[in-house]
Amino acid sequence: MKKQLGFLVDSDRCIGCFTCAMACKNQYHQENGVVWREVYPLKEEIYPHKERAFYSLACNHCENPACLNVCPVEAYFKREEDGVVVHEQDKCIGCGNCIRSCPYGAPRFNPVLKKAEKCSLCHQRLDAGLKPMCVLSCPVEAIQVIELSTLDTTGLVHYAPGFPKQPSLNPSVRFRLPKLPEVVRRKNHE
Amino acid sequence: MNSYEMPLVLFTVFSQSAIGLVVLSALRQVGGPDTDLRSIRTEWLAAGFVLLAGLTASVFHLGHPSGMVRALTNLGRAWLSREALTTTIFLAMVAAGLVLMRKKNNLWFSLATAAVGLLVLIAMGMTYSPVSFPAVNNALPFVFFSLTALLLGSSAGLMFVPESSRPMLTRVLTGSLIVALVIYLLVPCIWLSGGTIMKQTAGLWLASPLYWTRIVIGLVLPLALVKLLKGTQAWLWAVILIGELLGRAVFFADTVHTAVNMGGLY
Amino acid sequence: MSQWEKTEIEKALDCPMTRRRFMKWLTAAGVVSAMPCSFLIPRDAQAAGIVYEGGYKTFRNACPRNCYDTCSIVTYVKDGVAKFVEGAKESTFTRGGLCVKGNSYIRRLYSPDRIKYPMVQQGRGTGNWKRVSWDDALTRISEKFFEMNEKDGSMLGLAMTKYSGNFGITNYGVEGLMSSLGYTTRLVGTPCWPAGIDAQNYDMGNMWCNDPEDMVDARYVILWGVNPAWCSVHTMKYIYEARQRGAKILCIDPVLTQTAAKADEYWQLNTGEDGALALGMARHILDKGLVDQDWVAENSIGFKEFADYLKQEVTLEWASEKSGIPARRIARVAEEFATADPATIWIGYGMQRHVNGGASVRSIDALVAMTGNVGKIGGGARYGHLQTWGFNYHAMIQQPPQGAKGYLGKAAKGEFDFTKKSEGPAYTNRTLNINKTAREILDATDPPVRALWVSCKNPMNQDFDRNLLEKAFKKLELVVVVDQFFNPTVEQADIVLPVTTLFEEWTVNAGYWHYWLSLNEQAVKPLHEAKSNIEIAAALSKKMNELTPGSCTFPTNIDTKDWMAKEFNKGVYDLFGINSWKELKNGPQKAKTNLLAWGDGKFGTPSGKYEFKSDLCAEHGFNALPKYVAGRKPYDKLRLLTPHTKFGLHSQFINLDWMEEFNPRPYVYIHPETARARNIAEGDRVRVKNKTGEVTITASLTDNVPADAILMYEAWFKNTPYNCQNLVDDTSADMGGYKAGAPGVAIHDQFADLVKA
Repeated sequence: MKKQLGFLVDSDRCIGCFTCAMACKNQYHQENGVVWREVYPLKEEIYPHKERAFYSLACNHCENPACLNVCPVEAYFKREEDGVVVHEQDKCIGCGNCIRSCPYGAPRFNPVLKKAEKCSLCHQRLDAGLKPMCVLSCPVEAIQVIELSTLDTTGLVHYAPGFPKQPSLNPSVRFRLPKLPEVVRRKNHE
Repeated sequence: MNSYEMPLVLFTVFSQSAIGLVVLSALRQVGGPDTDLRSIRTEWLAAGFVLLAGLTASVFHLGHPSGMVRALTNLGRAWLSREALTTTIFLAMVAAGLVLMRKKNNLWFSLATAAVGLLVLIAMGMTYSPVSFPAVNNALPFVFFSLTALLLGSSAGLMFVPESSRPMLTRVLTGSLIVALVIYLLVPCIWLSGGTIMKQTAGLWLASPLYWTRIVIGLVLPLALVKLLKGTQAWLWAVILIGELLGRAVFFADTVHTAVNMGGLY
Repeated sequence: MSQWEKTEIEKALDCPMTRRRFMKWLTAAGVVSAMPCSFLIPRDAQAAGIVYEGGYKTFRNACPRNCYDTCSIVTYVKDGVAKFVEGAKESTFTRGGLCVKGNSYIRRLYSPDRIKYPMVQQGRGTGNWKRVSWDDALTRISEKFFEMNEKDGSMLGLAMTKYSGNFGITNYGVEGLMSSLGYTTRLVGTPCWPAGIDAQNYDMGNMWCNDPEDMVDARYVILWGVNPAWCSVHTMKYIYEARQRGAKILCIDPVLTQTAAKADEYWQLNTGEDGALALGMARHILDKGLVDQDWVAENSIGFKEFADYLKQEVTLEWASEKSGIPARRIARVAEEFATADPATIWIGYGMQRHVNGGASVRSIDALVAMTGNVGKIGGGARYGHLQTWGFNYHAMIQQPPQGAKGYLGKAAKGEFDFTKKSEGPAYTNRTLNINKTAREILDATDPPVRALWVSCKNPMNQDFDRNLLEKAFKKLELVVVVDQFFNPTVEQADIVLPVTTLFEEWTVNAGYWHYWLSLNEQAVKPLHEAKSNIEIAAALSKKMNELTPGSCTFPTNIDTKDWMAKEFNKGVYDLFGINSWKELKNGPQKAKTNLLAWGDGKFGTPSGKYEFKSDLCAEHGFNALPKYVAGRKPYDKLRLLTPHTKFGLHSQFINLDWMEEFNPRPYVYIHPETARARNIAEGDRVRVKNKTGEVTITASLTDNVPADAILMYEAWFKNTPYNCQNLVDDTSADMGGYKAGAPGVAIHDQFADLVKA
């Protein structure tokens, strides 16, 4: 298998602090309304305590990306050396097809430039030997860069509940599911 | 609810109307040699203008319209590039046809253009059915678009064609109205038993005033009128056009994207 | 990336015709790349973007907010513009990353909402702001001060309210400014943690916790009324590591917080019954013979009396009834806690914001002490410390002008006041209780409070009994606010002075939880006309002395970098094992000693031992033993909790548009049963009301909150008048007057009801 970088979303360690989401904004200064990394709370049907478990998700750098496949001007390419899916904003004509076609909602429309943009796995940082901003900033190492061809997948899940299952795209992301505490509720009220 | 995507509504409805006009024009030429050249040319001219209008609308959809020509780049993978290419070829063939058929109709060329029109419909159908919209990640967009082509092609065509072709077009129109009614009423009901996103799509469609208005004035009313009136009127086409535009708006605005449910069960 | 970012980058990538430029040209020509031959042109992988090599200057900064984590920051600056921040890798605590708030700092620095220059408001609350020059603003202030001094014969009519908005040490220059003007009125005390500080002082003689990084060695961790998953994100990794090494993590909190969701076991106890729960555990440990008799004998006094009290007045069943936790659970955990070695309890500040807060802290301290866990690595009753705050306070210590008259009486001292009482006249400042600001301003006479100087605080948003505070403000003749944004306090000001952010000033920072010291360099020039607090003090002094020589002693010509350096002394250097503050340019430093609280068993109490029985505590009007004290009786149907949100630090950050992206509006959190009984559905607008005031807000239904309580987060949102302090009265907590200047506030002993709006 070729080298493929992606993200480990450790929802067990994740405390939903949004540091990763803001770290990305800190690095790239996206326009208001344009968010590359979201921290999605798990609904109570999946994790019974409201807003207490999260999936931090940006671009999943799929093996067979929808964005790359539907872009009419070939503004996307997948790096040979590590499988990072890069959007060349210079080529973009703002047709919105990638934005509509990605089931994960990764590409976003920049209303000022009138072009699409998305998480780049901080490939410029990777090339400079640095960690992606979100990975560097996470206080509990709940977001990590993984290399799928050598990853030990013990205890990890590919399609966690609450994450669209798209084997035809094969997103390069793996999840560790969150655990539940043993809850002792007070037995009487004041 | 997504945006209504007006430029795409106009582009798809108009270009599909043009395709419908040309396809039906070609088919009725198969019928016999007594086809009226003037009416054929009018049909093709109308198709050309409508297609141009649609293409103009589509340009407004782009963030950078000046890059429009580059949209042909990814023919290897992108159905949108293929849609752009086939639409361009179709437009070229419509223009060529107008020149070619100045003196006499040309059945083979007409059929070839119709075939390209069909390819456009296929490319469009594929373009608008990505995995991100589970309710329409299937042949439904192709079906919806083909119905638009037939409904508008036949009702518009009825404005130009000679008496001899009217029965055929009327049969096509009636048949398309019935099929469209069945499909558009049935499909949301089937979505109701699908996954979360399909169910949500069904919910939005069935609760949409635009959806029901379209059913009534875009499909039921024309069907009644075709049955009741002798012959069809030009304004029948207008009513169907309004219906198609409304229906396409619902298609874009109320078809739910998977990303809205991140964190919930699918 | 944004448009301005793109322009910056383009300017930076100023190179001759590169492959990339060639491609751009080709693409612009359009047609060529549409041709099949475009497939033959290899792609240039360098997309327009951030170039890391040699492009940035880095600076050391420190987050000066009131937060356990006090992060060491590295700021990346290009061409004089700060581009992004990272956490310092050198600090094992910060470890390369900040938090959601820290990561929004660039936006805060360059926010279009920042106050740019001095402004004067024609009519408080009208929004009729007029720009004035610094000279004009300072002249108006000076003239008012002279007028007051004339009228009252002293500067006691000038009050300062300041707290934790900026903990950069040179910001104590605000206190210094006040001192240099004469004897003034000080709002003293802290709404934050005073009850617990006093409790730990009665028990051990100081508030002193272990290095939090040693928590990895704990074998039992109780997180008691603390929510580090939101309020100390950097400590979570040590808790996780402890668990990985075999520790059990128990979380006790009336609310199912994020921390509770990460614990092994979570107890949703009855609010305010923490004392009873701790005492119940203590009784069981005593019964089971699990007390560390050796430690107790060697290191404490009064255990016999405490044991007698437990035997006579505390049972498991009673503790269970009070706290709502099943007796067998209390028993089991007590045994686990007592037999784990070491075991530790992290006592949160929220836990002591009750009328019985101090007493509860004493009970929990006792639990840790009687099991021999005080003075152990990985153990301890953790609350906070001020071990690393031994600076000179050069900015703070100023002399009054000649002939200044002041207050004759006892003056209270705040917990961050490390100044020693100097020799000299018996005059002091007049001190008022900061936790009853409204009441104190209204009641103060002889002279009345005429002018209020506000810095590093946002009283209109944060002080209690908001309605009463509005009345109090009407009494003030002059309100000067030093701040960065048009927050609710600035809205009620006469004059606002723009202040710098951490990136625009030189200072030094320590923390009250970890043991790291961080330099804060001036990374960029102050924006607009902003000045730091000491620059404002110097400028005001200059203006006052211009008009009336000798009216202010604050030095008028200051070098802020020099003033930062002046805060350092041998004590600080020895503690951190450095020879000069300049070494901090290479990264933050960790204290080399004092990391293990009470490791030598030499307590700071009168007896030199851990005092289960504290005569001093009794002298101050409390129980000598950590006896149970009942909570506040409810005055309305539902308890109202107003804790802290992860998205802001008190009234800071939430107003930024970057933060609004993730946290757009406030909510009141209601248990579904409670909501159903009032016909309230998810997303409904509701009116929360009590005797103090009311708030209209959107409802979010969740059983994270108990059925008898509702919860809203204290915050300042830019676009809504939301303020939870409308509902919070200024009832005091029990302790705080001993070491922190005034008793704390029973912030979580408030009650209210709600209806659909």
